[in-house]
Amino acid sequence: MALLEVQDLEIAVRTKGKLLPVVQGVSFDVDDNETLGIVGESGCGKSLTALAIMGLLGGTTVRITGGNIRFDGMDLLTLSDGERRSIMGNRMAMIFQEPMTSLNPVYRIGDQIIENIRQHQKMTNVQARDRAVELLSLVRIPNPSERVDSFPHQMSGGQRQRVMIAMALSCDPKLLIADEPTTALDVTVQKEVLDLMADLQTRMGTAIVLISHDLGVISETCDKVAVMYRGRVVEAAATENLFTELAHPYTRGLLNSIPVVDSDVDWLEAIPGRVPTLEEELTGCAFHPRCALVTKLCATSMPQETEYKPGHSVRCHFSGKVAP
Amino acid sequence: MNTLIFFQTAFAGRRLATLGFLWLVMITVAALAAPLIAPFDPLEIDPVGRLAEPGWPNLFGTDHFGRDTFSRAVYGARMTVIIGTGSVAVALLAGGLIGMISAYFTRLGHFLMRCVDVLMAFPALLMALALITLLERSVFNTILVIGIVYATTTARILYGMTLKLRGEVFVDAAVCSGAGHFSILFRHILPNLVSPLLVQASFIFAFAQLQAAALDFLGLGLPPEVPSWGNMLSEERIYVTRAPWLLIYPGMLIVLSVFSMNLVGDALRDSIDPRFKDDIAGV
Repeated sequence: MALLEVQDLEIAVRTKGKLLPVVQGVSFDVDDNETLGIVGESGCGKSLTALAIMGLLGGTTVRITGGNIRFDGMDLLTLSDGERRSIMGNRMAMIFQEPMTSLNPVYRIGDQIIENIRQHQKMTNVQARDRAVELLSLVRIPNPSERVDSFPHQMSGGQRQRVMIAMALSCDPKLLIADEPTTALDVTVQKEVLDLMADLQTRMGTAIVLISHDLGVISETCDKVAVMYRGRVVEAAATENLFTELAHPYTRGLLNSIPVVDSDVDWLEAIPGRVPTLEEELTGCAFHPRCALVTKLCATSMPQETEYKPGHSVRCHFSGKVAP
Repeated sequence: MNTLIFFQTAFAGRRLATLGFLWLVMITVAALAAPLIAPFDPLEIDPVGRLAEPGWPNLFGTDHFGRDTFSRAVYGARMTVIIGTGSVAVALLAGGLIGMISAYFTRLGHFLMRCVDVLMAFPALLMALALITLLERSVFNTILVIGIVYATTTARILYGMTLKLRGEVFVDAAVCSGAGHFSILFRHILPNLVSPLLVQASFIFAFAQLQAAALDFLGLGLPPEVPSWGNMLSEERIYVTRAPWLLIYPGMLIVLSVFSMNLVGDALRDSIDPRFKDDIAGV
């Protein structure tokens, strides 16, 4: 059994009295020591999936309408508040997209890390502080014994992101969810943060779910990838297979729109159109208005998820006919 | 040390606000050391020396019972401070709790904030009058009533700010690290609200004085034997032609104090929220 199992997850948004599905039938699983990448354009449900796993969809407008999420054998959707709180930040942790706002501006960073540690472990303040310093040096904050008393505004974006990582790692979580952890950072810091996460994975065997729209980052760090489009997983495969034998035209489009540094092309290919809004009623495949291979069949029937090759599933009527 | 620097920046280049602050310090000293400063007992009646003009030994003259106006004014400062801090405490505690809880638990919040809206629809003085008629005249009840009146505006302000903070990622991050509702509200959100609360406190302090004086004047505030500036105005108003000093001194004290508190409030607000800084530059 995998560490994290998501089965047929359905999330819907309530607008004007109607329930509009935003995530439909998403399934994946992640094992110890494994990194799953979730890619897709903005608004395709990646972050909502992550928030659902962390139990942050508490509001009345966005809610989980179906499916289940199992973590280490426990059903996360039926846990009581207290049980959930004892897991959060302890055995599973999340790194957020915005390092600038993820830390409370009125507390010293050390106190915030200490709070998380003492929430879950029996430690004295002094012990927790030592642990905080140790964590800060682990994420390569220079001069950690002094920086532990810094306020968030005294640190740069990259440093704050690393503090967030330190905090997420403070109780040696088994699962780490990183929602676009590097989007707000520049390329060198981005590399450092990713290296750091990979390093920690080899050291502690953490399972990581990495959400990104940067295929470069995904190809470098992930063992397997799920490509999402408008609330559905359209293609899922091991990373090396996805990039060599891709089977969905959307994945093709994503790959084509990456600029290649050493080629002489003047024109960067893009996927025409945009992700359809929630209000637009769509029949058939959600990607058909933008797809190059579209036929009448695509506009009328929703393709089922099929096994294209062992461990490589695709949701397309023409899987395999896509130019690799 | 940090607070010292904060005050220095808040009052730098604002001569009027600094004067206002000094005046408030004087009022506080008078309130604390009233028995030492006042030359006479504020309640001692002297039928022979009624309505004496300001001079020696009665600096501010005497009232229609022959009580020393200066001593009463000094003891009145005590009431000013008590009413002010009491009302601020009630308003911030009640309003703050209602606002924060409403913003955090949205369903309950919809109900609570509509109640606050209804209360806010009444003019402040009218509501204070309605409430005070239900209660006896006492120092505590006056504080309670004024506090409730200003709890509504405080609730509204904190509701908005908590709503905004609740959406911040650091709150989500706290939820993710397993923090409970209580810890999120009071350990993560509340410390971010300290500066708006401070500003709100200074304005409530000022408005509470006006409100208390108005209630006293209408004979519904503090019990008549309590020496307060509002009571002095109320009791002596029929002597306005014969002994105008009986009204001028307490009136002046009220005006000066409220004005000073507003100046201090403005200075604090501007140093916290720099957007307003240029509106009244130098004042």
